[in-house]
Amino acid sequence: MAFVNFQNVTYKYPLTKTPVLKNINLQVNEGEFIAVMGPNGAGKSTLCYALAGFVPHFFKGEISGEIEVDGKKSSESTLDEWVLNVGLAFQNPFNQISGAKYTVFEEIAFGLENIGVPRNEMKDRVDEAMALTGIRDLADRSPYSLSGGQQQRVALTSILVMRPRLLVLDEPTSQMDPIGTREVFGVVRKMAEEGMTVVMVEHKVEWIAHFADRVIALNEGQVLMEGKPNEVLTADLLPEKGFGISRYTSVARQAQQQGLWKQKQLPVTLFEAAEGFTSKGGGGSN
Amino acid sequence: MNIEIKDLRFTYPTGLEALKGISLSVNAGEQVAIVGQNGAGKTTLVRHFNGLLRPSAGSVWIGDWDTSKYSVAKLASRVGYVFQNPDEQLFSRDVLTEVAFGPKNLGYEKDKVDALVKRALSLTELNDQTETNPYDLSPTWRKMVALASIIAMDTPIVIFDEPTTGQDAVNVARIANVIAELKKEGKTVITITHDIDFCAENFERVIALSKGEVLLDGPAREVLGQEEILAQTYVDPPQLTRLGKMLGLKATVINQEEFLNALK
Amino acid sequence: MPERLSFHIKRDSALHHLNPLTKLLLVLTLILTAFLAPFYWTPHILAVLFIPLLSMLGKVGREYFSTAIRLILPAATFLFAMQAFFQPVGEEIIFEFYFLDITRESFLFAFSNAMRIVVMVSAFTIFLLTTHPSELMSDLTRRGLPGQFAYVIISTLQILPQMQAKAQTIISAQRSRGLETEGGFFKRAGALVPLIGPLVFGSLVEVEERAIAIEARGFTSKHVKTSLHEIPDTSTDKLLRWFLTALILASIGLRIWLS
Repeated sequence: MAFVNFQNVTYKYPLTKTPVLKNINLQVNEGEFIAVMGPNGAGKSTLCYALAGFVPHFFKGEISGEIEVDGKKSSESTLDEWVLNVGLAFQNPFNQISGAKYTVFEEIAFGLENIGVPRNEMKDRVDEAMALTGIRDLADRSPYSLSGGQQQRVALTSILVMRPRLLVLDEPTSQMDPIGTREVFGVVRKMAEEGMTVVMVEHKVEWIAHFADRVIALNEGQVLMEGKPNEVLTADLLPEKGFGISRYTSVARQAQQQGLWKQKQLPVTLFEAAEGFTSKGGGGSN
Repeated sequence: MNIEIKDLRFTYPTGLEALKGISLSVNAGEQVAIVGQNGAGKTTLVRHFNGLLRPSAGSVWIGDWDTSKYSVAKLASRVGYVFQNPDEQLFSRDVLTEVAFGPKNLGYEKDKVDALVKRALSLTELNDQTETNPYDLSPTWRKMVALASIIAMDTPIVIFDEPTTGQDAVNVARIANVIAELKKEGKTVITITHDIDFCAENFERVIALSKGEVLLDGPAREVLGQEEILAQTYVDPPQLTRLGKMLGLKATVINQEEFLNALK
Repeated sequence: MPERLSFHIKRDSALHHLNPLTKLLLVLTLILTAFLAPFYWTPHILAVLFIPLLSMLGKVGREYFSTAIRLILPAATFLFAMQAFFQPVGEEIIFEFYFLDITRESFLFAFSNAMRIVVMVSAFTIFLLTTHPSELMSDLTRRGLPGQFAYVIISTLQILPQMQAKAQTIISAQRSRGLETEGGFFKRAGALVPLIGPLVFGSLVEVEERAIAIEARGFTSKHVKTSLHEIPDTSTDKLLRWFLTALILASIGLRIWLS
């Protein structure tokens, strides 16, 4: 049995007319790192909220089908129990600052205080989590004084420190520079290696291709495609449906039409593109 | 209308020296992208163009106006500024009123306001949303309303602050289209952006800032090819530029067309 | 963005090592004594002798005096002037200024009232300088104050400066659209509409997202909460609290007995 299991999940927010999630079926294995992508309005954030229990427990609305994580049914659980297993960090880092704490260290400890972790263990866990995400030097700063990218790292650390079995991330790197993004993907990959299950909404296709085990393309509340990153990210269907794709993929697709790309598989990353263009006579002009 | 900046320095009340002597000029009709790491001074610089910030030393001229002598509301007739977050400016009950707010403030007559609003709405593909409450639109469309509300002011200079952040591929293409149309009309467009590929595909001139100073300034191809210097301000060259380098292409390529031509 | 959002200054002093509740009780005792003690000179002695000593005991003398000179004294002086001029008591005029005059009685009355205010504000200032707000809330929560209640108080304290920063951005955005924010009353009042809309909408989104964020971190968990900071509560604290409670009762008792 899969660790995460969505069976025919359809969901409608209280004030909207049409469902945001339409008959979603989804299985994620323990320790798997799944990337979810899709155009705005595809239902990505709602999917995250459903995984984290906020749909329907917080937002109410109408839901049908069944959501299971680690063998427990969302419908038979309460939100405060559910969040102990499933951690959520979302896009806007500013609104994730608790507002009750004066330093980054205290901010990250907030969740551990809530669930009654003893003081000594708490300090160790906060230290460890901050070292993992590379924000030790921010420990004594006010969370409000940080840049957007730094706040996103704090938001991620605040959830990692809770050690959830399932980590749900909704565009956790939107305000980060390339270096920060790469580091976050690296951290998330590491957590997955250690057995944490990860579902991450992201647009940055190159990093998805590097790090994720599987990609789910969501469109208009439905699963459009799912599979290995390279299969999904190079599919012709994606640009037609308004998905962002890698520039390497789109340039290689055009090169293919002009006979300049001779491989079967289109590239997603820089390395794949460079390799594909140089081998078998598809190479450069010199 | 030209922008002339002479030895501009700016220090925040906290003592932070954000701009350390910047001199540059932007000609009418240029498309300029400003790049650089967080804290490089990008926003501080462009906020001087419409008087939201006043120089601690040096000067900023918009045409024949010294910005230190004009109010922000006055400068709004020459410089439009699209803020990053549309939710920090939208307040009207419907899109039409929202978009008409700026040109009305500038004191234009009703006929002119109507014409400007109409043009801005068609440029942003909002024609059939005139009566919609902006807050009933999705965040991507709210972004387009914010764009329209500035474009309707018909200023010779338009500034965009991180226009593509949080936008999907379809909307990024829409925004690129708006910038291209403004260029056709001869407007000066200045954009702050982290999105270096967007920058390569839509701007002819790139200014890279680092720690309050100009690191590089020139045609996009020249600036974006300087991998080592750009690294000082944590900017990676565009994806296709890096690929071209890896393949040993002689010329620096910055977009798909150039790349494919160089391959042949 | 402001780097520091609380007044608290980290020092190693006897006051810092007291339990927050003990300090709160000390503040209360000072205020009640200043207002209730039947001796005319009580508030004056507290203000000029006891309070400065207390600030030095807490090793925050410099910060306290700077606050006192910039904020507390001007406010107290203003209050004194208002009451001295407009309190219609007494006959012996000691000072005249056109139609305004001060009598001996109104002078004494206003002076001691101003001193009471000085004691009250100063006591709170020293309390805030030497007490970490999270410690205060953790301690009160531990003693049975509902967690939600504590959260509302402390997050409001923090979010106000953020709201201010946000309002500033909105004002900048609207001025960039040609909105005149300078000028006469009607112009300014009219300029409020485009400012309030985005502020309210933004706050609604913010409240919802923040609720989700803290819930995701176990805010309503049924576990007994723990606290990162060790909150001191020694036998000295307990002894001091008994003593302070006795002092409060004595002030009240004395007041009733003498009236």
